[in-house]
Amino acid sequence: MNPRRAGAVARRIVLGFRHDRRSLALLFVAPIVVLTLVGALWGSPATGTVRVIAAGDVDPQLYEALRGTNIQLQAMDAPAAIEEVRAGRADAMIEFTDQGATVTVEGSDPTRTSSFVSQMDAALTQIIIGSPLRSAVTVKYLYGGPSYTLLDYLAPVLIAVFAYFFIFLLSAVSFLRERTSGTLERLLATPLTRVELVLGYLGGFALFALLQALVILAFTLFVLKVQYRGNLATIFLVEAVLVVGAVSLGLAISAFARNELQAVQFVPLVLVPQIFLSGLLVPVDQLNDVLRALSTIFPLTYANEALRSVMVKGYALTDPLILRDIGVLALFAVVLAAAAVASIRREVA
Amino acid sequence: MDLPHAVEARDVRKHFGSVTALDGLTLEVNAGEIYGLLGPNGSGKTTLIRALAGLVHPEAGELRVFGAPPRAAVAAGAIGYMTQAPALYTDLSVDENLRFFAALQGLTDVGPRIEEALRRVDLLDRRRSTVSTLSGGMRTRISLAATLLHQPRLLLLDEPTVGVDPALRREFWDHFRALASSGVTLLVSSHVMDEAARCDRLGLIRAGRVLAQGSARELIARAGSTDLEGAFLTLSAVPA
Repeated sequence: MNPRRAGAVARRIVLGFRHDRRSLALLFVAPIVVLTLVGALWGSPATGTVRVIAAGDVDPQLYEALRGTNIQLQAMDAPAAIEEVRAGRADAMIEFTDQGATVTVEGSDPTRTSSFVSQMDAALTQIIIGSPLRSAVTVKYLYGGPSYTLLDYLAPVLIAVFAYFFIFLLSAVSFLRERTSGTLERLLATPLTRVELVLGYLGGFALFALLQALVILAFTLFVLKVQYRGNLATIFLVEAVLVVGAVSLGLAISAFARNELQAVQFVPLVLVPQIFLSGLLVPVDQLNDVLRALSTIFPLTYANEALRSVMVKGYALTDPLILRDIGVLALFAVVLAAAAVASIRREVA
Repeated sequence: MDLPHAVEARDVRKHFGSVTALDGLTLEVNAGEIYGLLGPNGSGKTTLIRALAGLVHPEAGELRVFGAPPRAAVAAGAIGYMTQAPALYTDLSVDENLRFFAALQGLTDVGPRIEEALRRVDLLDRRRSTVSTLSGGMRTRISLAATLLHQPRLLLLDEPTVGVDPALRREFWDHFRALASSGVTLLVSSHVMDEAARCDRLGLIRAGRVLAQGSARELIARAGSTDLEGAFLTLSAVPA
């Protein structure tokens, strides 16, 4: 193992980027564009109004109870009301009977339905107990807060996902180019060892990966103003260990691709399951047993858990959970680097 | 004292799937000579060269470079391997490419070496040029320069003059001759007859075996033909 030879490989990668300004720009611009969009989408509390038609007479108290919510109530006769819902102009209709109320929801969008149903439930409960619900229940936040948005919850995961995705793609395609252009053959016919080659790649790409992580983090925290608690250095450390693993994964995967198009086609196979199961869409503890077991073999799951714990709940680096996650990520990085070394066979037919 | 041959191959065998690349190949290359590997495409020339560069592991037989296994010779910096296509980083400058390959060989103070190597291939004025702006012939010359930086004792040149114009090809050969007289051993593969005639000795290779070995004159005499091309055709026609 000669650090100078590994260093030469790292230097070569840095020089290559200096000449390839477009790739370098995309590395920083692409995540910022995507994050800006995500920020606009999820960065403010939901404001969409839900239109509800009451069939027949309405208890005036109900109007009062719904004041301040995003439910807009309007009275109509029953046939006209159901027609409004069918046509998509209203989200639900409500019919009052002696036994209580029946709510017919449009129902095609489950997230909209569930938020509406819970609000409607609260409003009806308020009528039944005869006093405003808000005075009866005081909500206290252990984490987060009333101003806490979906973006605040998702940002820790997004930071990890973007860094992981872009660095994986970059290292897979770069190394593939090394394989297909014949330069790998030339490198392997020098004293350079495979371990030195992988370490050189890790060094060269880690530099850009960490810079990218820094830019993503700064943009998320200071431009999108995502609320966070924990220590910035801890957040960055988790990111760093994750992206080093992403470089190795890219190198190893490039062995299975014959051209750049195929390398890109590996994204849905290798990255999408990780992204889906790592807690971005559904919290890991809500996955079924099989999917939860599957999520434990993905580095992104541990990165997300750690980043969310630090950013949302303010865990410190010394917390056993954070130490465990960083340890697992480091182990992934080592195993993936070993896989990358094994994937470089001198013998290429 | 009996010095080891620069290259010694004994009954070397290698398959790629169902394809037999080397089928009991035996040859030796003396130190300081230019040895030409002559044979049609697919005869095993490139596989042999790659095996000598430590890139292919034969299944059977013995392969020695200056008495050592190929990979050990590569690690010791004894081998310079020039691939068929000029494998360079096209987005880097000539100087950056050469500095990189020099660093892999563990060289320090590379400035004068790079200058010397570029002067030899007559491209000193393109030192700062990005490789992607150079012509195919220029890239081949840079590729040769990159192979010479660490002053290897054995040069493996896989069809080095493909795509090189006749004037430059002559220069290349003058240069090969100069290297040989300074003690460097050259193993050159080719299927161009007039190049073969410039080698000290030749190995006629077909289907992974050496059919005949000797100087151009010896081969012509053995075949009873008037030129090397005739000799090659006659000797290849003999059933292996």
